[in-house]
Amino acid sequence: MAIRELSSLEKYLGLKKPNKYTTQGDKKIPVLQNSNGAPVIGLVTVACHLVREAKRPELLGDGAEDRAVVQQWLEYRVTKVDDCSKEDSRTILKELNSYLEDKVFLAGNQITLADIFMYFGTHSIIVDLSIQEREQFVNVTRWFDHIQHVRGLRHHLPPVSVLRNRIYTSRHH
Amino acid sequence: MKLFLSEGNPHCVKALAALEVTQAKCEVQYVNQEEKVVSFLSRPALPALLLPSGQHLFSPNAICRYIHKSSACTLPGSSYSVLQGKSSEVSKILQGPLNYLDQNLSKGKTTYLTGDSVSPADIVLWAALYPLLSDSTVQTGEHKTVTLWFNRVNAMNACQSSAQKVLQGKGLQGMKSYIQKQPAPPSCHSRDVQPSTG
Repeated sequence: MAIRELSSLEKYLGLKKPNKYTTQGDKKIPVLQNSNGAPVIGLVTVACHLVREAKRPELLGDGAEDRAVVQQWLEYRVTKVDDCSKEDSRTILKELNSYLEDKVFLAGNQITLADIFMYFGTHSIIVDLSIQEREQFVNVTRWFDHIQHVRGLRHHLPPVSVLRNRIYTSRHH
Repeated sequence: MKLFLSEGNPHCVKALAALEVTQAKCEVQYVNQEEKVVSFLSRPALPALLLPSGQHLFSPNAICRYIHKSSACTLPGSSYSVLQGKSSEVSKILQGPLNYLDQNLSKGKTTYLTGDSVSPADIVLWAALYPLLSDSTVQTGEHKTVTLWFNRVNAMNACQSSAQKVLQGKGLQGMKSYIQKQPAPPSCHSRDVQPSTG
């Protein structure tokens, strides 16, 4: 799963040559064998490395403050969202919903790595939500819908229809 | 900028040490560990750093990075793999990460994790290992290079004084009430023990 996310990121960044990854340990932590030295280990560490390779530093956040916020949500994604139980997933949705109340992106005013990996990580949770729950966590679904429509991002994931169209019901088609 | 801390919380040692190493200008306020400083989180999360924009940082690692303001400094992969095991109390689980850290430190031949000066990586990892390595009664096995590195970071004034302040000189005992109030760490077993009523 982590490797598919990294391949999607490579495509989004427009990196020409796809990297080869191996995994380490029971948790299948992705490893990128670097030609010039030490291996890069871990989803977030590899992702940050790719972003720097593609010379897209704005994806790590503009300014010290946004950079810290991006790192914070990337850590949240890896430590809280991954392998969460159903009960935990509701806490995560509640927290994100409350955080995103007055925000368009997780950090700053443009898309960052935090949005990209939180989108990848919450996809399986959002897919399983009922229509009612999608409306209950409306700030999350609004953000999710926005990110999934960013050009060139949704490579390995199917689109999720998150908001019910209140004007036209299926009967009118 | 304002840093919220609670006494006895090992994560607060980390944030305070980062502050003392850099001598950054920042107000420090001690609050009750149950206080919800970060409004959008469902559980009280300390330490928390109030940023100039009015936003809060709730991850101790992100707080350390921000305080260091060293955008160029990257945590090497080794720190992350070790950090992922940090919540465990069982030294057995830490054998793998400690071996890995030991190998990397002896291979790299640098004084600190990322070079010859202290970086956020050193502070973050020092604080994560503090409960285990500062207590000689905890058996963690032979990790010569890790021990040398740990003692080097541990001897810094900033680290000594922040551990002293947050844990009130009580060492590991000072963390007791904090740890007792934490939920069981998420592990691969957690799903198996959930009641099957539904």
